[in-house]
Amino acid sequence: MSSAGPRSQSAGQERARQLAGELRLVVRQLRYEQLSFWRNRFGAIFTVGFSVVFLLLLAAGGGTQRSSALGGIEEIQYYVPGFAAYGVMSACYNNLGIQIVVRRQTGLLKRLRLSPIATWVLFGAVLANAAVVSVVQVGLLLAIGRLGFHVVLPHAWLAFALAVLVGIASFAALGVAVSTLVPSQESAGPIISLVFFILLFLSGLWFPLTPGSGLAQVANYFPIHHLIVAFFAPFDTLPGASPWAWHDLGVVALWGVVATVVALRRFEWDPRRN
Amino acid sequence: MTGRAPLGSTAVEVDGLTKRYGAVEALRGVSFTVAVGEVFALLGPNGAGKTTTVEILEGFRRRDGGTVTVLGVDPAGRPRSLRQRLGIVLQECAVESNLTVREVLARNAGFYPDPRPVDEVVELVGLGEKADSRVARLSGGQQRRLDVGLGIIGRPELVFLDEPTTGFDPSARRGAWDLVRSLTAGGTTVILTTHYMDEAEALADRVAVVAAGRVVAQGPPSSLGGRDVGEAKIRFALPDGVEPAALPVDVRSVPSGFEVSTTEEVEVLHALTSWSIAHHVPLVGLTVERLTLEDVYLRLTAASGAPLPAGSATVERATGSKDRARRAGARRA
Repeated sequence: MSSAGPRSQSAGQERARQLAGELRLVVRQLRYEQLSFWRNRFGAIFTVGFSVVFLLLLAAGGGTQRSSALGGIEEIQYYVPGFAAYGVMSACYNNLGIQIVVRRQTGLLKRLRLSPIATWVLFGAVLANAAVVSVVQVGLLLAIGRLGFHVVLPHAWLAFALAVLVGIASFAALGVAVSTLVPSQESAGPIISLVFFILLFLSGLWFPLTPGSGLAQVANYFPIHHLIVAFFAPFDTLPGASPWAWHDLGVVALWGVVATVVALRRFEWDPRRN
Repeated sequence: MTGRAPLGSTAVEVDGLTKRYGAVEALRGVSFTVAVGEVFALLGPNGAGKTTTVEILEGFRRRDGGTVTVLGVDPAGRPRSLRQRLGIVLQECAVESNLTVREVLARNAGFYPDPRPVDEVVELVGLGEKADSRVARLSGGQQRRLDVGLGIIGRPELVFLDEPTTGFDPSARRGAWDLVRSLTAGGTTVILTTHYMDEAEALADRVAVVAAGRVVAQGPPSSLGGRDVGEAKIRFALPDGVEPAALPVDVRSVPSGFEVSTTEEVEVLHALTSWSIAHHVPLVGLTVERLTLEDVYLRLTAASGAPLPAGSATVERATGSKDRARRAGARRA
């Protein structure tokens, strides 16, 4: 770049200045997204409250039992990463998917598309919002686990952070992708949440799956079980197991890539009429 | 703030615009121009192509053919510099329900280089008392006004209003009309779609009637389709016992009595009133009526193959051609 003249230098500065402006706009949008999310009590309770309440219920109802499926560790040590994974999936897949359908069908997406805001700024803020909600939940569940039930925190923080990151990215892509398959606002909740909760049930959130069981084989095809495993591994509670669940992270990421392709190909801005 | 185009120069130019959705030809060569500072109304039945036309002008949809210039720019690539100069009010009230009126306006103001102050817009759309209410708690009419507020927050040079008063009560409509007039007083160009004739008549400097993907007529609402010079309707009733065959002109029976459609209303009236005086037979409830904008609209849209709206006597004889209508009227007279 040293050979560049003053003109291209100032053009570069101009681009940098524009980029800084756009990033400020992302932060600004994010603030309004956050306001909107936390004020929507139903959504906030369903997403954040749900994971906390279920963790507490499961912990109260025998969470200190030792699990034979998990080499004799306390079940609560499994539920904390499990519900942290649920929190990420709920914020990124369930909440984001429904939110996009509602926004599309009410014309909100169209209006934003017509406004001068850049598409990447818009999506940057929406995805950042889902990421913030996810991280808040993960933090909350770790805190409850540590303070309330003396759960051991992840030893391999880097592996845990990577699992959170891959989870947010892949399930946000799944949320956007599933929104393109839903035809109307009324069917958003039933379609998106029903799929989610059935798969959650099959995927070992409520009880650890016994490796090699029929249920475990079914769950293997879907990303939910793998994300739970990837969240659990960095706690390093099983002797001899690696905190880096590469295989599971790979499956989750693969789902994310496929979802991204579907989302990019099928995304629509205007309300779908039936 | 960049300099705005002077009043009277061209704001929008559309020529030979075509668009198809699969096998359906939505637009089949739409052409019109809109001058800066003008209120231009697109009239037409549902599915005629109004919304598609507007969406292409807004840059939301791509056209298949023809040329389009909006504020001197082709909107096809949705350049941001153009979007910053447009204000758009959609049919749907699309606003995040958990934010307050002020928050939504402030957020959108941030998208534009030189927005109007939020408080000014709040007052302009009459939401002063609701400024800190959440959008979810607004009535339908108030949400619509917020929508309009969002459309003008960026100080637009051109505003698109898509059926701005559908579902309004009469006083809310008057309020919305006043708001549109205050926009144009500031030199803003307005393109609106509507199927209310009184709205087009009250607001528009010029209208274009769109039917089956074509502009079938355009001009000022007062002279659209030749209604200022076209035929008039003379209506009256006869006392019991008087047969219409006794009249000096051919008439049609209508529920209220008899009717003559003619372009020579002076001559026909003269013949009728002379006969009335000579024979001492009153013409009860005699009225002369010009075609309403709605009559003209129904003729134009019916003639171009759109489905016939019920309840208009003129539609049955619609020809779509001024000359033929005139000849037919003269024959009946």
